[in-house]
Amino acid sequence: MIDLFPLILTVKVSFFATFFTASIGLVLAWTMAKRDFFGKNVLDVLIMQPLVIPPTVLGYYLLSLFGRSSVLGAFLDSLGIEIVFTWKGAVIASMVSSLPLFVKPARASLEGVGRELEDAARLLGKTEFQIFKTITLPLAWRGIAAGIVMAFARATGEFGATLMVAGNIPGVTQTLPIAIFDAVQSGDTLSANILVGIITLFSFLVLFAAARFTRGRL
Amino acid sequence: MNLELSLKKALDGFSIDVKLQLDSEMLVLFGPSGAGKTLILKMISGMIRPDEGSISIGTRKVFDSAGGIDVPIRERKVGFLFQDYALFPHMTVYGNISYGISGLEKEAVTKKVGELINVTRLAGLENRYPHELSGGQKQRCALARTLAVEPSLLLLDEPFSALDYQVREKLRADLVNIHAMYPITTILVTHDLEEAFMLGRRIAVVNNGRIEQVGTREDVFYRPVTRDVARFMGARNIFNGTVVSTDGPSTVISSPDIGAVKAIRTEGLMPGQEVSFCIRPEEILVIRPDRTVDPKVQDNILEGEIAYTTGKGSTQILFLKVGKGDTLLKIELPNFVLRKLGLANGRRIRVSLKRENVWVIP
Repeated sequence: MIDLFPLILTVKVSFFATFFTASIGLVLAWTMAKRDFFGKNVLDVLIMQPLVIPPTVLGYYLLSLFGRSSVLGAFLDSLGIEIVFTWKGAVIASMVSSLPLFVKPARASLEGVGRELEDAARLLGKTEFQIFKTITLPLAWRGIAAGIVMAFARATGEFGATLMVAGNIPGVTQTLPIAIFDAVQSGDTLSANILVGIITLFSFLVLFAAARFTRGRL
Repeated sequence: MNLELSLKKALDGFSIDVKLQLDSEMLVLFGPSGAGKTLILKMISGMIRPDEGSISIGTRKVFDSAGGIDVPIRERKVGFLFQDYALFPHMTVYGNISYGISGLEKEAVTKKVGELINVTRLAGLENRYPHELSGGQKQRCALARTLAVEPSLLLLDEPFSALDYQVREKLRADLVNIHAMYPITTILVTHDLEEAFMLGRRIAVVNNGRIEQVGTREDVFYRPVTRDVARFMGARNIFNGTVVSTDGPSTVISSPDIGAVKAIRTEGLMPGQEVSFCIRPEEILVIRPDRTVDPKVQDNILEGEIAYTTGKGSTQILFLKVGKGDTLLKIELPNFVLRKLGLANGRRIRVSLKRENVWVIP
């Protein structure tokens, strides 16, 4: 009987990671799309970094940031929160990796809602929050939805950074991609094939869904 | 509602510096593209912040750089009609018009929107989306949306420029009617002379970020105060000259281009002074060769050869070589006059300018 733990853990990690990515990412995307501020380009480069640097390097950064020897790690530890080598570490690794995949389409679609439409609403007496809720979001939701789908897909496939931060502890932090690696390493071809099949099918569904959102045929 | 403003803003290679005052009326801001007209409207509405100045709507100061006042857009109660209307594409006509209404019971909203829909001739289209409307319908929907929040000031940015020529006339009439029903202090921006003349009892001529002249439409049309205003108003015949005499009933100006010209007496001119003067192309009369000249039109008689003519719909434009032969006088005549007199290229004719139609630019 094949162990379903990696699949369940992956879904759980991806769900939390996507939730945080979308929440933080929406604020970031809106700020980048609608506001001009000092250091905007630097912030942009920073958010996009996970797309280009090796996942292991990203994982190493996170490990250094959240490890017990760091200030942040020590602070979290004093609160009784452990990140490294727990499933929360996997969530953080997945979140940072998937952030650029969410921010890019979300920002583009928020930018696509012209300044003039928002000004028209301002002239009609609406507050910034009302405008976001009634004008910007309804007109940009396709790009945001596509970003959520892409972020979720990226989170389920996260390997390198997760391995660095959460490790490979069967039954604790072993996610689906890591389980596949483990199965191949130990010569368990059957498990590897089944897990690969699941993740391939899932990827197909995700891209299909994302395409439907962006083409507007939902 | 009065509007009083004084605005300064410096931009790349361009600056705005305007002062303007208006009462409950429709004022037209007229000027060429790029003169800064839209920018002025955007500063009044709060979409663009002036560097310096103040804006008062009624007794309320909405901007004052010295006093540190900058009321946000949503509290200015300014209606703005965008050039391409900026309708919310995900809302119906009804949704767009009712969007800004707040603090009313549902029935009151329905009644108010219904009234606006009738006034703007959109009945039956309540459930259409903007992409299902014609240009004129979009424009009227945007206007209704703006009127729904009862603004104290209405700013219209080239409201007809995105429309076909055929429907403009009807929509201009609509606008005049709607404005009569909702008499809000209004500024309309246009670069179309015909439109400026039709809609503005008062016209402010904007050029290069400055207001060159504000006055009644007759003032700016017939009595331009600068060469540029004369040019924008279509007074194509603008010449330089020197004042020769100011005694007697006329001012006599000697022009190197077309010779001596008599103009109506203008106060404050001194002999020897360099001036510009202009003659509107439609005020020039062609003298029929077989008739004696009426003494009333004997002020200025010019003779010249027709260089070329060109059609302009219902009228013809005729260019007459006058003076030493290198000056072209532009004359606008109804088509039938041209036909009746057989005015063809190369013919020599005499034309008359009444002295009251020679306007000396002060």
